[in-house]
Amino acid sequence: MKNTVLELKNISYKYENNLILNKVNLKINSGEKIALLGKSGSGKTTLISVLNGTIKPTHGEVKIFNKSYEELDRKQKCKITTIWQDLRLIKDLSAEQNVNCGLLAENNLYFAFKNLLNISSFKKAHKYMQLCRLHNSIYDKKIRKLSGGQKQRVAIARSLIQESNILLADEPFNNLDPKLIATIKSLLLENVDKNNTKYPKTALVALHRLDLLKDFDKVMGIRDGKIFFDIKRTNLRKFHLDKIY
Amino acid sequence: MNKLKLNYTSLSFLPILVCIPLGYQLITNLHFGGFKLFLEFLISAFNPKIDNEIIIAVINRLNETILIGFFSWIVSIIFGAIFGILSSNIFYKIFNIPNFFYNIIRLFLTIIRSIHEVVWGILLMQIYGINFSIGIIAICIPYIAVNSKVFAEQLETIDYKNFESINQLNAPKFSALLTLIWNPIINTFKNFGLYRLECSIRSTVILGLFGIGGIGTSIFLSFQTLNFRELWTYLWSLAILIILSGLIFKKIKFNHTNKILSIFFITVFFITILLSFSYFLYFVFNNNFENFNSVSFLFRSSLDLGLFDFLKIIWETIILSLLSTGIAISFPPLVILIFNNNTSKSLIKIFAFLLRLIPTPIILLTLLTFNNPSLSLAALTLGLHNAGITSKLLFTNLDSQDKRNYIAMKSLGISKKTSWLLGLFSQQAKSYLAYCAYRSDIIIRETAIVGVIGSVGLGWQLQESLSSFALQEVTIVLIAYCSIAIVGELINGKIKNSLT
Repeated sequence: MKNTVLELKNISYKYENNLILNKVNLKINSGEKIALLGKSGSGKTTLISVLNGTIKPTHGEVKIFNKSYEELDRKQKCKITTIWQDLRLIKDLSAEQNVNCGLLAENNLYFAFKNLLNISSFKKAHKYMQLCRLHNSIYDKKIRKLSGGQKQRVAIARSLIQESNILLADEPFNNLDPKLIATIKSLLLENVDKNNTKYPKTALVALHRLDLLKDFDKVMGIRDGKIFFDIKRTNLRKFHLDKIY
Repeated sequence: MNKLKLNYTSLSFLPILVCIPLGYQLITNLHFGGFKLFLEFLISAFNPKIDNEIIIAVINRLNETILIGFFSWIVSIIFGAIFGILSSNIFYKIFNIPNFFYNIIRLFLTIIRSIHEVVWGILLMQIYGINFSIGIIAICIPYIAVNSKVFAEQLETIDYKNFESINQLNAPKFSALLTLIWNPIINTFKNFGLYRLECSIRSTVILGLFGIGGIGTSIFLSFQTLNFRELWTYLWSLAILIILSGLIFKKIKFNHTNKILSIFFITVFFITILLSFSYFLYFVFNNNFENFNSVSFLFRSSLDLGLFDFLKIIWETIILSLLSTGIAISFPPLVILIFNNNTSKSLIKIFAFLLRLIPTPIILLTLLTFNNPSLSLAALTLGLHNAGITSKLLFTNLDSQDKRNYIAMKSLGISKKTSWLLGLFSQQAKSYLAYCAYRSDIIIRETAIVGVIGSVGLGWQLQESLSSFALQEVTIVLIAYCSIAIVGELINGKIKNSLT
C-alpha cells in the first residue's frame, strides 16, 4: 500500500471576498507524479501555496506526512521543494548564490556568509547548474541580467539542489525551448540516479501544455477553485478538458 | 479668467509667497550699524590669513574635526544598519516577533532622531562637561536613528515573495535574514554611507561652534573676535576638506564582490561594535558626572515658563520651520529660472556651496550685522543654508536628465527660460518636492541651532533653561521639540509617500 504524503481535507481559501479554493479534497501518494491542469486564475498557484504551507487555508485541514504543517520539524519540511511560477529568485544575488540558497536549510550561518561573499567553491551548485544546462559564464551574473529561460533554469537548479522527495511546481517549463523542456522534464520527473543525483520521487506540477502530460501518472483538473477530475493519465478524454477550459 | 492650476512645477514655486511676510519684517528690522563689518567679512573671503601659526592651527583643528567626524560616522553607520534591521518589517516577519515590538523600536528611534545633535551636545555637556567624546556621542545618537530610518526604508522594499520563497526553503532564520538583507544593506551603504560622512563633518563643525572642539570652535572664536581673515582661513580649509573628501569618494568604488575587501569590511564592522561597546562602558563608569548631581534635581528645579509664553515659542518654532522650508524649496528653481545662463549657473553653484559650507550660526551672525534679531532673520538663515543643499540635488538631477525635450522646445522658438521650465524642470519637480519633504524634517530639527543664536523658538528657550539649570523646563521644551519634529515627520512622510 502506498503512503499518502500530502492530503487536503475540505480546503477552502478566501481572499478579499473571492473564493479561490472551494472545498478541495486531494490525496497525493508517495511516488505519484501528478499534472495539475486548469486555465489561468483557476486556483493552481493557490493550491500549491497551500500545499507548501506558504498560505493558510481559510477552512479545512492540510496534512503532510500525516501531520499538520506546524507539527512538521525542519527536516520534514525540507522534503518538499517548490518551483514558483514567478520563480521568486533574489534579483540582486548571482545565479550561483541563488542556487546555493537551496542549501541554506542544511547549513549554518557561516555557509550563508560564504555564499554572499563568494569565498568558497560551490561544487554542488555547479553540478546542478550544469545538469540544468547553465553555462559557467553565467554563474556570477546577477539574476536581473539573465534571460527568462536562464532564470527558469536557475530556479529549477535551486529546487533540485535541495534533493527533496516531493516537488511542487507551477509552470516549471515556461520560457524553455523544446529541447530544454525534455531535459528539464526528465530531471524533474524521472528517477534517474546517474552520478548519485537524487531527484524528487513525488511531484505535483501545474501545467498548461497538454503535450507535456507524458511521464505523469495522474492528471487533475481544477476550475474556479474546485477539483473537477482526478484520474489516471491514460483515462484522460476530451470531455474532461472541456470541463475545465 | 484662467484659474491657477496646481501641479508639481507650480507647487515648487508657490512657497516663494513666504517672502511677503518675511521680506516685510526684514525691511522693518534693517539697520546699517554693522555694514562696515559685513563689508570687511566679505573682503576677507578673498584675503584669508596665511602664516605658519595659522596653518599649524588649521591642521590641528582639521585633525580633530576629521577624527570626531570619522568616528561618529563609522559608529553611526554600523549601528544605524543594525537598528535599521531591528526596525524593519522583514526582521519581525522572519523571527515571528509581534508587531508591538516593531512599533516600540520605531517610536524610540523617532524620538531619538527628532532631537538635533546640537541639542544632544548641549545636554551632554551639561552632564559630563566639555569632552572630546561628547562630540562623537552627540553626533552618533541622532545619526544612528537617522541612518536606521534610511536602512529600514530600503529593507522595506524587499519583495514579500522573496521572503515567502526563502521561508519555503526552510533556511535557518539568521541565514534567511542575512541572505535577504545583504544586498539592500550593501547598496544603501554604497549610495548613502559616504554622503553621511560629509554630514558628520558638518555636524562636527556645528558642534564645534558650541565648544566641543575642532575647526568649528576656531571658526566661532575668530568670529567673536571679529578676526574675519582668520575665520576665512578656517572656512576655506574646511571647503578644501569637503571638496577633497568628495573627490576621494568619487574615486572609491566599493566592490562588495571583492573577497578581501569584503572580509576587511566585516572585520571593521565587528571591531567597531566591540570598541564602541567597550568605550561606552568605559565612558559611563569613568565619568564623574560633573554637573549632573542627581536625577531628583530634575523634578525639584523651578518652572518659570508660563503657558502663554510656552505656546508662543512653540508657535514661533512651527512658523520658523515653515518659512525656512518655503525658502529652501522655492529659491533654487526660481534663481536658476531667472538667471538661466551658464555663467550664472556656475555662480549659483559657488554661492550654494558657500551656503552649505558656512555653518548656519555664522550665516546668522553675519546677517545680524545689518538686521535686528527676528524670527524672519532666523528663517532666512535656515532657509538659505538648506536652499544650498536642495540646489545641489536639483543641479545634480538636472545635469543627468535627458535634455531632448528641452532642445526640442528651444528649436520650436520657445524662450530659453520657458523651455527650461517645461522641458527640464517639470520632469524633476515631483522628485524634487519629495526630497524637499524629507529635507523639511531636517529643517524642523535645525530650528534648534538658529533658535539658540537668533533668540527665537524652542532652541532659544532650551539654551536659556539650561543656562539657569531649570531642568524641568528643559524636559518640557525637549518634549515639545520632539512632538513638533515627530508630527512634522509624520506629515512629511505622508507627503513623500504621495509623491513617490
